[in-house]
Amino acid sequence: MQEFGDYVRRVRAARAEADSQFSLRQVAQRVGLEPAYLSKIERGLVAPPSEATIVRLAGVLGEDPDVMLALAGKVGSDLRAIILRRPKQFAELIRQLKNAPDHAILKVVREVRDGNW
Amino acid sequence: MIALEGDTLVFRFPEVHDDAHTEIEFQRTLRIPDDGKHYPLPPGLGAFPLRHVEDFAERVPQRVPGRWRERGGVMMPLYQAEAMWISFRGGRRFGGYPCAIKIAAGKINAVSGKAWKPELDASERDYIVVPEQPWLDGFCIAKDVIRQFVAMPLGAGYSVEEQITCKAEHGGLQMIVYPMKKERYEAIMCERESNAQRACGMPMFALSFSRAVGASADMGLAAGGRMKQQIYADPYGLDAWDLSASSRCFVTLADALQWREITGAAPPTRPPTAEDYTKAGLPWFDYYAADLETLPGSAKLALVKSVAEMAAEKGEQVMGPDGDVKPGKIIDVGPKKARSKVRAPRKSQA
Repeated sequence: MQEFGDYVRRVRAARAEADSQFSLRQVAQRVGLEPAYLSKIERGLVAPPSEATIVRLAGVLGEDPDVMLALAGKVGSDLRAIILRRPKQFAELIRQLKNAPDHAILKVVREVRDGNW
Repeated sequence: MIALEGDTLVFRFPEVHDDAHTEIEFQRTLRIPDDGKHYPLPPGLGAFPLRHVEDFAERVPQRVPGRWRERGGVMMPLYQAEAMWISFRGGRRFGGYPCAIKIAAGKINAVSGKAWKPELDASERDYIVVPEQPWLDGFCIAKDVIRQFVAMPLGAGYSVEEQITCKAEHGGLQMIVYPMKKERYEAIMCERESNAQRACGMPMFALSFSRAVGASADMGLAAGGRMKQQIYADPYGLDAWDLSASSRCFVTLADALQWREITGAAPPTRPPTAEDYTKAGLPWFDYYAADLETLPGSAKLALVKSVAEMAAEKGEQVMGPDGDVKPGKIIDVGPKKARSKVRAPRKSQA
């Protein structure tokens, strides 16, 4: 999963240019990893870490956890649970939206209903 | 369009620009003492849960008043005398897509103290601009001074709405968001990208008191203690905003004691007192942007009585004692500070 490691390294390095709190050591510490392990992840020498670790890493880097999970070839357990509740309908929905532009997908998102006030 | 993603209200304007979105959360916090002193910014203790009103209007109609269903929107639970603040967050590029936001409590504008009007009017100066304004903690009563948002039962006479209009009609929170015009945003982006080093990330960022007389399931926002907080004037001008694209939302404030009956879920626990939090050595916060003009505050809101003043006048005990609070550790989370600094105690401290 070189793509995941590259992404983490690129984002972290960009943040580190402006803020030393994003050094490899400090990010690893905040995520709860050994710096050597995070370095291996960034270089693609080991498989991406667990879902929980990726979500923590996304939080520290200010990145979207769903995007980072996807780069690691994973789907969040919350999304998995949602799909498994209605697998047929969600599989069909996702296939239909496969080539839809972003604005069409947004239209499927449930809106907060506005009433009279 | 507005979507509810987890406990965050996400306002998107894909018809204006792909980047045009802003996120609003309601943060649990300490109630600062209502003793006339000016306090720094209290911490965020996590977002209040938000739910679609219509989900429960259909499921438990006997628990959801008809007026809640009629106005739509979302709801969240607050205890009597519980405080909250509003967090605004933009996209990930350079602190977020600029938006102008009007906020009202009980349809009284929280910045001007005037009756709710959805339109933007430069002469009124009654709206905030994000990402310049990362948080709003209360009613703007004077330059750089607010009175904290504190929930009280609608009908008990404490809310700002009731004090100004003499009616307990609306309660809750109302907001309308206007995105920046596409052309203006793209011009700003060009300028910023030419000097990316300037990018500044916004920090995100069992009591037994008697119930106030006239209590209902609806809560309104009253004025709590005084806090130092700058409310920034619009640095872009009215012409920057796309007035043809706006989204509005009514946030019903439900009594936390009835939250379980309505939703089946437990409400959050009560936050710690400001005294206990401070004695534990936990930090308070400060946010100061020297280069932005700040609004002068509302003379109308300055005349509103605080919860403590009103309770003393009524001879009621509606909240616990404030205790002795001397914020010791105050962390600067201003715009020049690092992105990673957030307005919350670290997990290891909490």
